[in-house]
Amino acid sequence: MISVNPGTSNLEKLDLHNLPAEQTALDIKNLNLYYGEEQALYDVSMRIPNNRVTAFIGPSGCGKSTLLRCINRMNDLVEICRIDGEIALHGQNIYDKKVDVAALRRRVGMVFQRPNPFPKSIYENVVYGLRLQGVKDKRILDEAVETSLRGAALWDEVKDRLNASAFSLSGGQQQRVVIARSIAIEPEILLLDEPTSALDPISTLTIEELITELKEKYTVVIVTHNMQQAARVSDQTGFLYMGKLVEYADTDTLFTTPAEKQTEDYITGRYG
Amino acid sequence: MDKINMGKHISGKFNDELEAVRNRVLSMGGLVEQQLHDALLAVQKSDIDLAEKVLTSDHKVNKLEVQIDEECVHIIAKRHPAASDLRLVISIVKTIADLERIGDEAERIAKVAKESFSNDQQQLLVSLENLGQHVLSMLRKVLDAFARMDLESAYGVHQQDEQADRQYEALTRQLMTYMMEDSRSIPKIMDVLWSARSLERIGDRCQNIAEYIIFFVKGKDVRHVSPESMERTVMGKKD
Repeated sequence: MISVNPGTSNLEKLDLHNLPAEQTALDIKNLNLYYGEEQALYDVSMRIPNNRVTAFIGPSGCGKSTLLRCINRMNDLVEICRIDGEIALHGQNIYDKKVDVAALRRRVGMVFQRPNPFPKSIYENVVYGLRLQGVKDKRILDEAVETSLRGAALWDEVKDRLNASAFSLSGGQQQRVVIARSIAIEPEILLLDEPTSALDPISTLTIEELITELKEKYTVVIVTHNMQQAARVSDQTGFLYMGKLVEYADTDTLFTTPAEKQTEDYITGRYG
Repeated sequence: MDKINMGKHISGKFNDELEAVRNRVLSMGGLVEQQLHDALLAVQKSDIDLAEKVLTSDHKVNKLEVQIDEECVHIIAKRHPAASDLRLVISIVKTIADLERIGDEAERIAKVAKESFSNDQQQLLVSLENLGQHVLSMLRKVLDAFARMDLESAYGVHQQDEQADRQYEALTRQLMTYMMEDSRSIPKIMDVLWSARSLERIGDRCQNIAEYIIFFVKGKDVRHVSPESMERTVMGKKD
């Protein structure tokens, strides 16, 4: 994976419509999605760059979470869901018949709206994925716990009570445990579905700060209702409305001079 | 988006706040326009009372500037304006700074009206009149363009500044000739020259306001760009 200026916050703007393959983490091509008769996504095409934060915004029911869930095939779990089109993860179509979905989800981690730690210790939460993979070496596990918790900006707060239940932590800390659990298995992509909507403002800022750090190692895709959050954390933003990708641009442009009137009306809080 | 469209926010209170702050900018513009008008008239008629009126009205302009700035800060803090709303607030903050300075220049011009000029020197003041009227018309037009956020008329005002600059240069040359002819008149001529300079600066500030209007409407910063590039922005496809 080639990283683009890792560690700098002022990234150069990318030409999102002509993104070269080596900078593309996800290439979504003509994606249509149906729940039974109902079409939820219409011909979505976009390229999501490596090591950047991409946000999807839009009103409830616009398809942003649906689109996010397509990226690790969570929609496979919905029986009536049908998809055509393609999502290429570093060039490989994830909807190809040969793709092992479990392996895909190791490469594409996901964090949900409500913190969902397992009813286990902090330590066991973080190593859960590794244990599933059959890792038994205590040294490797210990190391993974420290690295992941540091990566999730939680290590200093919990290093003395790793065996305490994850439920003993605050909401914001629990969400960071969940992020640590996701990054312990070193995914390439991290999907965040409203990761802070159940958190207080200070925890929200901590997670936002973390997101900025995470992009040095991972490609982050975030869905958020909070437009200011998208403006703060993302490098590029896609605005979805009624299942269509209305506009996809670098975040600075989208929030100051959007090209489409629908985007303008949404981000300035006007009636559609 | 070439028409100002402040209404229709889901939050009616936000509409009201933007409308209120915009109205205040328009009243501030009206005050400043009156100041300049009165200052020019006071100079022309050597009307000391009118000059005094200009000098005492400046505090109203200053007060409005502070008030509008404060309201804009509140809007930014509480409403997190984006896109055209954000550009409107930024344009307002910059516009009122220029308006306030135009008020200061008008004050400087009014001070000249309080000086006593001999009959010979009266004709110097007449030469100020042309430049004064041109700049006053620029100010009126730019305020009108601001009220309607009218791209074309803002661009028109921007173009007019060149003529103001030319008139200023011609006037400077004329005043220098007078100075060479009669060195005793230099102090008075300097007063007139400073007024001419003030008028020229007002033209520049009208040009600035025109640039903020273009920024609001087109979302492009046209300060310090070539005339061709500005023309492309203004004439180009609307965003």
